[in-house]
Amino acid sequence: MHNSNRGGPVDPDGAAVISVDSLAKEYRVYDKPEGLLASVTGLFHRTSRLVEALRGVNLSVGKGEFVALLGPNGAGKTTFLKLLSGIITPSRGTAHVLGHVPWERDDDFRRRFALVMGQRNQLWWDLPAAESFRLHKEIYRIDSARFERTRDELVDLLDVRRLMLQPVRELSLGERMKLELVAALLHEPEVLFLDEPTIGLDVVAQHTIHNFLKTVQAERRVTVVLTTHYMKDVAALCERVVVITHGSILHDGPLEEIVDRFTTHKIVTLDLDATPAPGQMERFGFPCEIRGPRVTLRIDRTRIADVLPEILRSESVRDFSVEDVPLEEIVAELFRAAPVPSVSHASVVEATA
Amino acid sequence: MNRYLSILATFARACLVRDMTFRANFLLECVTSLGWMSMNLAFYLLIFTFTSEIGKNTGWSKEPFFAFVATGLIINSIVQALFMPSAEELTEMVRTGGLDAVLVQPLDAQFMLSMHRVDFSSFANGLVGVGLLGWAVSRMDYQPSPVAWLLYPLLILCGVAILYSLIIMLAAATILLGRNQSLYDFWFYLTNFSRYPAEIYSGPWGGPIRMLCTFVIPILLVVNVPARVIAMPLSGEAWGLVAAALIAATASLLISRLVFQAALAKYRSASS
Repeated sequence: MHNSNRGGPVDPDGAAVISVDSLAKEYRVYDKPEGLLASVTGLFHRTSRLVEALRGVNLSVGKGEFVALLGPNGAGKTTFLKLLSGIITPSRGTAHVLGHVPWERDDDFRRRFALVMGQRNQLWWDLPAAESFRLHKEIYRIDSARFERTRDELVDLLDVRRLMLQPVRELSLGERMKLELVAALLHEPEVLFLDEPTIGLDVVAQHTIHNFLKTVQAERRVTVVLTTHYMKDVAALCERVVVITHGSILHDGPLEEIVDRFTTHKIVTLDLDATPAPGQMERFGFPCEIRGPRVTLRIDRTRIADVLPEILRSESVRDFSVEDVPLEEIVAELFRAAPVPSVSHASVVEATA
Repeated sequence: MNRYLSILATFARACLVRDMTFRANFLLECVTSLGWMSMNLAFYLLIFTFTSEIGKNTGWSKEPFFAFVATGLIINSIVQALFMPSAEELTEMVRTGGLDAVLVQPLDAQFMLSMHRVDFSSFANGLVGVGLLGWAVSRMDYQPSPVAWLLYPLLILCGVAILYSLIIMLAAATILLGRNQSLYDFWFYLTNFSRYPAEIYSGPWGGPIRMLCTFVIPILLVVNVPARVIAMPLSGEAWGLVAAALIAATASLLISRLVFQAALAKYRSASS
């Protein structure tokens, strides 16, 4: 496992749509002590900590790439997206998105990207989404013909035409998210930032959104950066995965590379003729589960080519499958094993103004 | 400019649609607002049963004073309808991170944050204010000149601009502090000073308040200047006040713009 903040793959068109150099963001957070006395004392003296949300990150994303940002809660993924979309300014480092410095908030830049946050509602709550779309048209200066064409395409792709005239507050979470995506794409952005777009959605809604995003990305060559905790999103959508832990990039590369780099085992499932005797299967690998004649073994990847023929030779196998360790497990292990950075969360005591 | 007007019209349209969706709430707001205003007017009528003038030799007898009150109603209704609902919502937007969505849109954030909500029920007071102004002016001994009538809407706009700037400064404080639920209260306390003729602020306590509220936070210019122009002859002092209102409005808009931009640069956003 290495801890590098290297740039990403070479852009197929030769120019990076997103380029990030040594980007860092620090926050000062104030501790709120418990108890009445401590609260009163806190009016005059407060203890603060410097939290490094992002630590000198480097990244390059080419046109049309679909990149997943993975990381545990508090790893810095959303902070990274907020910096790339110009919502907050960095403490150090630089970034360019579509040739613009995001936090300068040029209108030319803001017209060319969109941000969708799964946990925040950006549509007018009490009104039908059609009203928000109309406002969007004015804000992004979309001419009427183009607006209608794009809106119709998007609502048909997501099958939400009938929902456009219903007040947003009356819609389900999945329906709302679909309309949020329509609103975000009305101005045909070149870059799309998605912050947990499938959070809380059922599998059907997740699947619909996966298909929608795949179609949009393929047809329009939109560059997409996605943060998520769902490996299904990653497996369905992203060719490239960037793993962030403790504000640093731990891994940047194709999804398969994570599996290759961070797993040492394969999972072999066997359907035998009869329940094996105790200890019978341990010579092949670690038995994860034995349920009657069905046995699940964890076998070292380097031995799999030798062990599998041996099993088939020596045991009565009716059926078998060989799979990688589930992505969730790999990523969870990756997060657990990530090195904790050296002390820079220094506590300093400050007097309030 | 056309785009911003068009967006403002879209905001207004959406707010009207929403108000009409909750019609009972809309009517209740109108009634509450008109009820509060009626109580104020009754209170002033009561005062004039004991005195013929607010302050000795100030010129604020009953009809000119009601022209003053009407001017205040018009200015306040414009501010309450166009800017205050958005400002009140800002605290929640900063606390929950809703401001993020505004900052990614290709639109001036100050415009978006100060005008995205229009409260149509507040215009009810303004309409009553216009009626009250007509009634008061028609009963005054002095009749305003055409120049005074031309200056009056301009000075109303100056008053609105000064109050708007104050709101923007308080909004900037909200962005910096992350939470500022006393925004509306503070605005109400400050604007309370503007609800009475400047002449009442005299003596050892009143004098400093008058200086502070004219030159530091020019709240006393908001209603006093347009009301004086319409209710009293245009003297040399009145022309000085007109110039002061114009300068104060321009300076307030510029300063509040700078403060707001500085606050936005320091915006931290909320955790998701």
